[in-house]
Amino acid sequence: MDELGDIIQEFLVESHENLDQLDRDLVALEQDPGSREMLSSIFRTIHTIKGTSGFLAFHRLETLTHAGESLLSRLRDGAQRMNPASADALLAMVDTVRKLLESIEETGGEGDVDVETVIAMVTACIEDPSAPKPEPAAPQAAPAAEAKPAKSAKPRTAKAKAEPEAVEDAPAETPAETPVEEPAEAPKKPVEAPAAEAPKKPAPRESATEETGQNTKRSIADSSIRVDVDLLDTLMRLVGELVLTRNQIVRGVSEISDPVLARTTQRLNLITSELQESVMKTRMQPIDHIWSKLPRVVRDLSGALGKQVALAMEGKETELDRSLLEAVKDPLTHLVRNAVDHGIETVEERVAKGKPGQGTLTLRAYHEGGHVIVEIKDDGAGIDVERVAQTALDRGVVTRDQLARMESREIISLVFRPGFSTAKKVTNVSGRGVGMDVVKTNIEQIGGAVDVDSTLGKGTTWRLTIPLTLAIIQALTVECGAERYAIPQVGVDELVFVDGQSGQAIEHVSGAPVYRLRGKLLPLVRLDETLGLPVRNSDRDVYIAVLQADGRRFGLVVDRVLNTEEIVVKPLTGRMKDVGVYAGATIVGDGKVALILDIPSLARRSHLAAEAAERAQLDQVDNRPRGGDIERLLIAGIGERRVAIPLDMVTRLEEFPVERIERVGSREVVQYRDHILPVIRLASLLGCYDVQEGETVPAVVYTERGRSVALVVEQIVDIVEDHIEARSDLDDDGLTGSAVIQQRVTELLDVRRAILAADPRFYTEMSEITDSMVGA
Amino acid sequence: MPSRQYATFEVADQLFGVDVAQVQEVLRFHEYTRVPLAPTSVGGLFNLRGQVIAAVDLRVQLGLPPRDLNVPAMNVIVSVDDEWVSLLVDRIGEVIELDDEAFEPPPDTLAGAYRNLIVGTFKLQDRLMLALDARRAADTTVPVPVGQHA
Repeated sequence: MDELGDIIQEFLVESHENLDQLDRDLVALEQDPGSREMLSSIFRTIHTIKGTSGFLAFHRLETLTHAGESLLSRLRDGAQRMNPASADALLAMVDTVRKLLESIEETGGEGDVDVETVIAMVTACIEDPSAPKPEPAAPQAAPAAEAKPAKSAKPRTAKAKAEPEAVEDAPAETPAETPVEEPAEAPKKPVEAPAAEAPKKPAPRESATEETGQNTKRSIADSSIRVDVDLLDTLMRLVGELVLTRNQIVRGVSEISDPVLARTTQRLNLITSELQESVMKTRMQPIDHIWSKLPRVVRDLSGALGKQVALAMEGKETELDRSLLEAVKDPLTHLVRNAVDHGIETVEERVAKGKPGQGTLTLRAYHEGGHVIVEIKDDGAGIDVERVAQTALDRGVVTRDQLARMESREIISLVFRPGFSTAKKVTNVSGRGVGMDVVKTNIEQIGGAVDVDSTLGKGTTWRLTIPLTLAIIQALTVECGAERYAIPQVGVDELVFVDGQSGQAIEHVSGAPVYRLRGKLLPLVRLDETLGLPVRNSDRDVYIAVLQADGRRFGLVVDRVLNTEEIVVKPLTGRMKDVGVYAGATIVGDGKVALILDIPSLARRSHLAAEAAERAQLDQVDNRPRGGDIERLLIAGIGERRVAIPLDMVTRLEEFPVERIERVGSREVVQYRDHILPVIRLASLLGCYDVQEGETVPAVVYTERGRSVALVVEQIVDIVEDHIEARSDLDDDGLTGSAVIQQRVTELLDVRRAILAADPRFYTEMSEITDSMVGA
Repeated sequence: MPSRQYATFEVADQLFGVDVAQVQEVLRFHEYTRVPLAPTSVGGLFNLRGQVIAAVDLRVQLGLPPRDLNVPAMNVIVSVDDEWVSLLVDRIGEVIELDDEAFEPPPDTLAGAYRNLIVGTFKLQDRLMLALDARRAADTTVPVPVGQHA
């Protein structure tokens, strides 16, 4: 009951605001009868009132607005032009709506307000747009007999009792015990009405507040009040000032060392923190606040349509900034009504399709990648792409050419275009093609997005993506290059510590860093590198935050992981937003500013690494079934990388004492079996930093085209058999690709090419040296 | 005679002024959060009573090398398009009242970055004050033209 009282109260406040706007719009429309934009706006307002009055069971209001909507629909679609007669009719309708609202406000019911006359007037305009102006006196006649109570003599006690009751009883009967104000001058001078009414604008609100204060029954029921968000902003700023002043006092007092003052300051400190927290929370409300009204909506609507719908809600506690919540309310209601009306089929239809008779409508809210996602999912008929396409063509929303180029997903999105409706018949509930248009406009106004996903016969999912300006989110704080960054916790799957000792390390595929996480390759993004910070020269003892965004999983390499905390997201100014890597900024515990990383944009940056990792993974998969030549490979380790060399090119494995390596010019050589063997260090071929050497170095003696080379590696790991397909895509640098061998990324090396790439004159100069030595 | 008040400050030994009505406050601050990848003119971000404020390095805006932000800098907080932006300056001067008549358009010899940011000059007793266009000074999206002060 209280909830319904709230709904009616909000409905009244909103409708009064809407009506004032409507008056202005209608008058403006008369000046500019062709303005589709204006007509659409008026149409939407009336549609909203109609919708709400429908489920609040204000039948007269509903019938009246339905008539108005029909006329507006014709005007909007250009079926007829706006003329003074239709303007009069519409303004008369608005005035009667106002009367009805006043009656509802005072008595909780629609009273005896006459709607038939106005409906007739509006309908006359529809049937014959050029009909002469209807008798303005007509609407006056009906309520003339009514008593005309003065404003001051509002029957308050009656109201308090009547309102909640009326709501309960309304569907059955319309309470008529209370007299209503006479709609005196309204239809007489409709065009002047807005001007006359304008100063009254705040009246409904004032009277509502007044009554809240005076009537104990309501004030108990109504434990919340409407507060101007601007006021909350001001409070927030003031608290900020207080915090700063507090900090200064705390600092000053610590220098004085007065125990009494210190205790007082301590209290001030705590109170200020609590105050700050509370003020911040005043703006946040769980989404349940708007969801709580939906079960009733669904119940009534499904009842009226002869359907059975179960409503499930997940994530009720997800908090949203109050202003965003307000903005989401209408679109959400529209979508829910639409899902019940058009999405979910009747029991018979469902049973015929082999589905359970009762349909399910699921609402889900959750944080994702710095946004709040609200999903409205039904298991109904789904959207028929063909039918959407056909309707879009019929209505001229798209051309056949455009349609031919569209994917089915894009075609489904056409339902968001203004003036689009696939409903077979215009029902009283929805289906004038206004709902989706309103949803899209409203959500985009707050910087959000709507999309729809549908499978014919299976159901439809509408997704609202709402930005979280000012929202409080859980975030992981990390450190990189002496600065802290916050990562929205929703995107964080797990954290991995890359220990220098354990041998688990960051590996490279075609130069892109990857990490082997439980046998799968995880593409990595180095935060320092991405942000253009000085890059650390070791991958030891770093952390990898495994993140998920845009359907992609990747690891973010950071120096340190600090903790998780609740942060308040502050929007960034345009100049910072352009950078693209930041989703916002926040103030962390010690008062410093930390930037919030935008995971999706980091994910896009991980694209290259991801492709490389996928290729490597694919190679692994591809190679198995292909059954090509089994090749034996020698695996050598260098730093954290592993390199495979075809074993049939390897003549021997040797261990050379370091002091036996001699220098000839800029080259290194070693005497080996009465020959001079050129020495090549794998580290320098691969461009790695030089490795610590022991007293001896392992070397692979490698022979190709009659020439031998000693390839110094850090470590000989293993000899394996593997299926390696013939590779034609030899790179100039001698790295022929990579494969996962023994669950580690291993680069395949063509030694000769690698040497030539690193040192094109190597072979010619070396042959001179070795030949001369042999000759000597 | 119409006159206007200017909050004055020095950058690289040159006296500048902005309309005092645009100045919210002046404070010394030293802990800035760097914004990697942002234009160099963005010195950093800092927390002013719960608001995240961007500090714009006027030296960079004037085509000079960036300031060392490890040394505390003076912040002149100006309000530009309903948004607070801090201008990093070397030293704060007085608030002076100047007759509009003392105003002269920027000299033709003024070159490069200065020319973009200056709306005019005022001749004081012993030196010149350049009146700064706060909006342009705070705008970090405009690439800083190469060219030094004449």
